[in-house]
Amino acid sequence: MDTDSPQLRLGILAITALSLFGALFARLWYLQVMAAPTFQDVATQNRERLIYEEPRRGRILDREGRVLVDNRTSLVLAVNVNDPALAKTDQKTALLRSVAQELTRIGKPTKVAGLERRLNDTQYNPLTPIPLAIDIPEELQIHVAEHPEAFPGVEIRRESVRAYPNGGIAAQVLGYVGRIGGSELQARKGTDTEPLDDPKRYQPDSPYGKAGVELVYENDLRGTPGVRRVEVDVKGRVVRTVEYVAPTAGNDVQLTIDTELQKLAEDTLSRQLDTVRGVLTTSGVRRAPAGSVVLTDPRNGGVIAMASYPTYHPEEFVNGISSERYAAITGGKDTENPFINRAIAGQYAPASTFKLVSAYAALQSGMITAATSYGDPGFYDLRNCTTGAKGCQKTNAEEKANGTISLPTALTVSSDVFFYNVGDTFYWEASKYGDGLQSAARSFGFGTETGIDLPGETDGVVPDPAYRQRLYDRMSPEEQKNGSPVWVPGNTVDIAVGQGFTLATPLQIANAYATFANGGNLHQPRVAARVLKPAGDPSDPNAVVRSLDPRVTFTLPLPASTADPIREGLRNVPEWRFQGTAGSAFKGFDSSAYPLIGKTGTAEVPPKADFALFAGCGPDPRAELCIAIVMEEAGFGGEVAAPVARRIFDHASGQDELPGYEPWNAGIAVAATGTN
Amino acid sequence: MAIASSTTGANVTVRGRYGDPSPWWHVDITMAAATIAIAIIGIAMVFSATKGNGAVADTSYLKRLLLFMGLGVVAMIVTSMVDYQRFLAWSWGFYGLLLFLLVAVLFFGVNEKEKGAKAWFGFGAFQMQPAEFGKLAVILVLANLLGQWRTDIDLRRLGLLLAVPGGAMVLIMKQPDLGMVLIYLFIVMGMLLVGGVKARHLVAIMAVGVIGVFGVLNSSVLKQYQKDRLTSFADSNNSLKTSYQVQQSEATIGSGGITGQGYGRGSQTQLKFVPEQETDFIFTVVGEELGFVGGATLLLLYGVLSWRIWRVAQLARDRSGQLICVGVMCFIVFQVFENVGMAMRIMPVTGIPLPLVSYGGSSILTTFVALGLVQNIHMRRFR
Repeated sequence: MDTDSPQLRLGILAITALSLFGALFARLWYLQVMAAPTFQDVATQNRERLIYEEPRRGRILDREGRVLVDNRTSLVLAVNVNDPALAKTDQKTALLRSVAQELTRIGKPTKVAGLERRLNDTQYNPLTPIPLAIDIPEELQIHVAEHPEAFPGVEIRRESVRAYPNGGIAAQVLGYVGRIGGSELQARKGTDTEPLDDPKRYQPDSPYGKAGVELVYENDLRGTPGVRRVEVDVKGRVVRTVEYVAPTAGNDVQLTIDTELQKLAEDTLSRQLDTVRGVLTTSGVRRAPAGSVVLTDPRNGGVIAMASYPTYHPEEFVNGISSERYAAITGGKDTENPFINRAIAGQYAPASTFKLVSAYAALQSGMITAATSYGDPGFYDLRNCTTGAKGCQKTNAEEKANGTISLPTALTVSSDVFFYNVGDTFYWEASKYGDGLQSAARSFGFGTETGIDLPGETDGVVPDPAYRQRLYDRMSPEEQKNGSPVWVPGNTVDIAVGQGFTLATPLQIANAYATFANGGNLHQPRVAARVLKPAGDPSDPNAVVRSLDPRVTFTLPLPASTADPIREGLRNVPEWRFQGTAGSAFKGFDSSAYPLIGKTGTAEVPPKADFALFAGCGPDPRAELCIAIVMEEAGFGGEVAAPVARRIFDHASGQDELPGYEPWNAGIAVAATGTN
Repeated sequence: MAIASSTTGANVTVRGRYGDPSPWWHVDITMAAATIAIAIIGIAMVFSATKGNGAVADTSYLKRLLLFMGLGVVAMIVTSMVDYQRFLAWSWGFYGLLLFLLVAVLFFGVNEKEKGAKAWFGFGAFQMQPAEFGKLAVILVLANLLGQWRTDIDLRRLGLLLAVPGGAMVLIMKQPDLGMVLIYLFIVMGMLLVGGVKARHLVAIMAVGVIGVFGVLNSSVLKQYQKDRLTSFADSNNSLKTSYQVQQSEATIGSGGITGQGYGRGSQTQLKFVPEQETDFIFTVVGEELGFVGGATLLLLYGVLSWRIWRVAQLARDRSGQLICVGVMCFIVFQVFENVGMAMRIMPVTGIPLPLVSYGGSSILTTFVALGLVQNIHMRRFR
């Protein structure tokens, strides 16, 4: 073959050209016919962006429909970083400088670096203007509107934020709202590889309930965000809106809380703590740093008030709280943390308030009857005791001798000796009475979480031999040298008077008394009653989205032979004439109009001062209100806690509306507890 | 049609009937029609890519493009009127002018779009790229030499045949415009092939070329961005800007599907996701808005154009005319292959325009003139 033939060489050229065109056709076929759907998805993702519009959050109402948490409009200064007038870095810096200047002028000291950090914060969607300052005055809005050339890309928009028309009441119950966190967002949306169905469409800067009702009822309170599907160009500028779906507001949540009683409980508690603080007693200085008051409705388990001291104002979280401020509120090691809801998270020795359980166990097991009498010389010698006189003897408070008494009186005067004997009998005659004391405690709801619809609840302790063994097993070897896994008679004896290893939350105590008061129904307490349509009228049955009905978790057998002696004893506790331990606090209280059952308690927590407790219900026997009070390092229950209960029952019984009512003032120097 | 049938080669009767008619009787109508059709597609595509999203379409690009196209058609006609033998006679003059301009552009040129390559002279609102027109000068010089030497090419002559385009290529490399050098290379190789260079010499040149390419890629002659551009088509995970461009380009063409998104309605095009879509990446507009149907039609038109040029090469009166056609064909075929292949991610990214479709005055004028030369040869094939 002649390799120099021009025709042959032209042929080679033609074949080369043909194969090049062939390659192009093949590739074109692949891209546009075989792989087209994939690339069409890429194109769609390129051009379409979703902008979410946050919905209005539902309100939180009290039992009467009074608004506890509302929304208000706040003027927010935001910057659209995509504005062409901010394309260059020096333009951006100049703008931030003048914004910082203006904010400082209106009384919000601001640094350029801080604003810069916000603009570069990846949690913001760069398609929507990034907020730089909230709650700015209208005057600045006008100033910006009049000088658009000085504020390129700046817009002032109205945003809905939380508002608290009743101030900071019930802060630990209501909780607060913050920006959703990374782990919360992941829990809602899943991961990129395993996305979850998220009907609430959370975005990295969405508001999210962080505590209390705001957290538990997040799904109800949060509405559904609106979606704006927009087309953007290569620079991310919005070209047009393809589709718009408006947001739907969140549902309101109506609580069982009564604003008036909540305020009264908080005021009375904090005033009483203020009053006793600093007083020196035999058990030490009363620091009175913290306390809690729980009011429940024994008929259905609804929480009527839940006060925890110290407290905070959720308003502080509206604009986002700085970590410095948060640390300041939380305090150091020696300061009590106001974010802890002591009514459900505080675990205390229930002390004498626990005698309700011991009395029930003794009567119900047949160990004693109402008529069984016992001599109380003021001290008690443990049976079969070999550890020596001192370790073998337990005494009443101040070694007061009560003489020969039966169960009702033992409750009224709070005889420890009487119940030491009950506890000792449960220990030594276990073959006869089994673990009657512990099982009675569990029947009243102690030792497990009540299941209230609030986060952070603790379970308390109903101690038994297995518990002591567990405690020992968890100790370090050094601690074990000084400890013991052996359950001794003193342990059971301590339970009988609510001391030793026994721990309970104020809510558990209130719930136990409610169970006795309502005839034996142990309720699962709750703070929310109903979920209502957005801005719904609580009196309109059509506005109810769902009702959170009462739930009885256990029914306690409560025959008259058991209930009556206990009722008699508790009824006389607030009675001066029967030397009831709360008699002095309830002096002048009209118990014929509003009969009460109650019990004081004084927990010994050496080396701290005594913890003061009170539990009770009224009007007996068809009680509508039960109360539990715990005041840390505050003194005797009858002296310090009972007056707080008195003030609240004054209001509940309407006695504080009688002419000439003076906010009660007796016992120790209690400050005026009037609320008006 | 008599004129059309005269282009097929069986033309003795035509000659007999009309004697020795004007060359205008021998215009290749098919080639002319393909040329105009491609140019019209180009006008439509550039307008779609540049009209913007405003209520009033931006016609500034369209107006300038129409001006280039008009000038191009005039230049094509003028070129076809003057006997190509004269151009061959002037070829060394053109070549000298080219070298002068390529040197001058290194000193007085402007950087287009701050991309670094000094390849353009600026004249107010217009720019001129000497290397574009230079393709014609190199084609003419090589056709002249190869036409004189027939197949009698020894190593000394081969050296001259490589040195002449090589001088221009070195200067273009200085700008640097790598894509343009590749086009020159393909033109030269095609012309040497058909021009009668011995087969073993061709093989040796190609071997040196392949080794040279690898050597250049592994040396510091090229800047990193140039290497990235050359290799990014093969690396789907390349995070560089170049990779973004070809990924977008590929997706844009792919999203067109069989019938396309519709003229003026391609989201990738209209929202400007592909950089340089009106120039180097104009094929993405065709692919997205007109789909496989439109893209294949455009490729087919280039195929028809190339086939007609090849046919004219066969029919040419002399070796020089044949080799001019070969040079022009190589120029068009390889530029289409490189440009469309780059847009579809089977070729490296180089700044090479799609002939008659990409927005750019120098390229459009050069292509029209080149096709004018081919018509010229076709018109004078019997003389």
